[in-house]
Amino acid sequence: MRLRLRITYNSFRHAKASRKIGILILYLMLAGFGLFILLLSRLFLGLMQSPEIARYSGIDMKSVLTSIPALILSAVFFGTLLTSFGVLLQALYLSGDMDFLIAAPIPIRAVFIVKLLQAVLPNFALISLFGIPIFFGLGISNNYALVYYPLVVLVMIVLALAAAGLASLLVMLVVRILPPRRAAELLAFSGGMFGLVCSQLGNFTNSFGQDINISGTRLAGIVLLANTRWLPLNWAGQGLIALGESHWLSGTLLVGATLVFTIVTFWFALITAERWYYSGWAGMQAITRKKKPYAPRSVNATTNHIGLRMARLVPSPVLGIVQKDFLTLRRDLRSLSQLISPIILGVLYTLTMFRSAGEAPIESIEASSWFAQSFDTALAYSSVGMSLFVGWMILSRLAGMGFSQEGRNYWLLKAAPVHARHLLAAKFLVAYLPALGLGLVFLIVISVLDRLSALEFLYSLITLSMCQAGMAGILLSFGVAGANLTWDDPRRMNAGVLGCFGQIVAMLYLPVAFGLFIVPLGLASFFEFPIIYGYLFGLLIGSGATAICAYVPLWLVLKKVELLGE
Amino acid sequence: MPESLIETRNLIKRYGDKVAVNNISFDVYGGEVFGFLGPNGAGKTTTIKMIVGLLQPTSGTVKVAGYDVQTQPVFAKSASGYVPDTPNLYAKLTGQELLRFVGDLYSLDRGQAARRIDELLRKFDLFAAANDTVDSYSHGMQQKASLAAALMHDPKVLVLDEPTVGLDPKSARLIKDILRQLADRGAAVMLSTHILEIAERMCDRIGIINKGELVAVGTMAELRVLDKTGQASLEDIFLGLTGGAEETEIAEILK
Repeated sequence: MRLRLRITYNSFRHAKASRKIGILILYLMLAGFGLFILLLSRLFLGLMQSPEIARYSGIDMKSVLTSIPALILSAVFFGTLLTSFGVLLQALYLSGDMDFLIAAPIPIRAVFIVKLLQAVLPNFALISLFGIPIFFGLGISNNYALVYYPLVVLVMIVLALAAAGLASLLVMLVVRILPPRRAAELLAFSGGMFGLVCSQLGNFTNSFGQDINISGTRLAGIVLLANTRWLPLNWAGQGLIALGESHWLSGTLLVGATLVFTIVTFWFALITAERWYYSGWAGMQAITRKKKPYAPRSVNATTNHIGLRMARLVPSPVLGIVQKDFLTLRRDLRSLSQLISPIILGVLYTLTMFRSAGEAPIESIEASSWFAQSFDTALAYSSVGMSLFVGWMILSRLAGMGFSQEGRNYWLLKAAPVHARHLLAAKFLVAYLPALGLGLVFLIVISVLDRLSALEFLYSLITLSMCQAGMAGILLSFGVAGANLTWDDPRRMNAGVLGCFGQIVAMLYLPVAFGLFIVPLGLASFFEFPIIYGYLFGLLIGSGATAICAYVPLWLVLKKVELLGE
Repeated sequence: MPESLIETRNLIKRYGDKVAVNNISFDVYGGEVFGFLGPNGAGKTTTIKMIVGLLQPTSGTVKVAGYDVQTQPVFAKSASGYVPDTPNLYAKLTGQELLRFVGDLYSLDRGQAARRIDELLRKFDLFAAANDTVDSYSHGMQQKASLAAALMHDPKVLVLDEPTVGLDPKSARLIKDILRQLADRGAAVMLSTHILEIAERMCDRIGIINKGELVAVGTMAELRVLDKTGQASLEDIFLGLTGGAEETEIAEILK
């Protein structure tokens, strides 16, 4: 613990003055935020006690107020349990310092307690930032006895410790089934997906706002759920209120029972986790994956496959790198979640687009016929815009980090007889093919729903493929220029400024490139030329510009590829 | 006279003001195992990385199998295989997929590659783990997978940086035998090691580098001439040339 405090102190002491000021301002802001929550909750909870509000809302406010402590304590317990799981998995199995600490002449219990505290403290601080001011606000608005305030903090601490203890047991059970690294990947994947789906569903349902109405009564009903008698977390809440209201006997019994229960839970979890870890039980996988027996691949059996025959046209190193990248991306759940996110976003935004498309009051716009026609044209090609948007998100990951994802394995490519142009071509294909494939799926679906003509679909397809090619070229070249091959944590893969700059350039490129294909169609309408001229002109300038964007940036970084990894 | 398969001439590598490798010139011939020794930070890995094309020299030339590594990198790399000191391999590929990928990088015919993969997996005792991903391999298995990858294309030149680190005696013996066989078939094998016993027993010639400069090159007999007694072990010669002798004396006094 001293070491951790020393590291924190030294980091602060040796930081630049601007950073020190920044940290102080941050702490002041947090304190201000806590005070704001305290004042707000005091005001709000005071208001809730007024008989007028109860009469107007028809809600039993007394019950709602007595449910609040149980609700906050449940948040503390379950929040700590869930968030500690990932931190403890990292601290106990992936940080690499456990062997050193256990080999050192330190009691193993001390090591475990430190690890648990490390897991609990940051999340506990965050939850307390909201929880303690609300608890205190409740106390002030109800004139609770003084003993209520320190007991609130004590109960929150023991609950958080018990939750962390149980989380450590849970980690050890999971690690018995899955390798720690795989468990961490799964956690990151499921956490990321859950967060994305929740946030997007929130946005999505907001866009259907008129259908969903969370009333005050329903909200109160949810709060009252926490006030269930058989929930142990409710005993603590009720005990705190009882002590606050000077009902000493019932309060002491309830809070005492909670403290004993949580301390016993924490102690039991600590001792069991220690034993499991020390005996190696929790490091030994009980269930192992059934091994597939190795069978040498028959080459002739697959030679007639048309895809393989076409693939033969591609140089062998290019094909090898493409296959390798697709395999590793598919198997690494962290990469997979980055690739699935655009699909989820794409589906949700497409649905939103369709919903709002029906509301477009084009008839109400009093405009000249060419404007209306141009607007129709732009609307017809909005499907390309959506497909490009989805493609952009995929390309950001696959092209922007195409080289960085090689990390410390890059020596294998660099020591191999692979031309820099083949390496670039392979990385281009790895990024471009999935983006094009997914964009194409979106394009087909939207075109069918939008009833696009064959000509419009074909033009959309060319627009999509060319715009994405240009974007892949731009993002890949920035990815080469800012490649980071020394990362240990995949989240730091794209730590450079150039990667961000590449995103900005791609964002600027996208509407311009799309416009080069679409604007000539509007111009043809304006000058009353046959639309075919618009298509031909759009193809000529759009394809030309995007092809240049696909090729020139890559040509510029060709020399850089040869020096990469030195 | 056997053919020189690794040829370094006036090789210099600077990192800013620091000279990591200073004017090194030596040859490694076909059919020999060349040991490259030196204390930590002497410039062994930097030299090796310049030979296999992972680093560009500040000046000087490196030729592998007659091809200049700077001007004809693809030809030079086609002829060489490299085993790094830390086997960083694609964690999410299986052993078999890793070797197939390397086969593709060296443009091997798929049928030929499949046979070679089968042969190497058996030879390195990785057959049972062929369908397991590399992240499930032990350090020794990763080291063997790394060597198997370097041997996929049957290179004329094999360069190994600390190949026996972390290997059990059986695997270390296997690697030593394979390197000897490779040299006997006419390939040039260059390896860096800290284990002087391995160098003394395995290597036909030895180069000693210290503070970026090559201080001695030759067979054991030629190196012994550098010592007054002519009976010195490689350890004595090494310590004498790299300034470690004084430290040995201090260690003796401390005893």
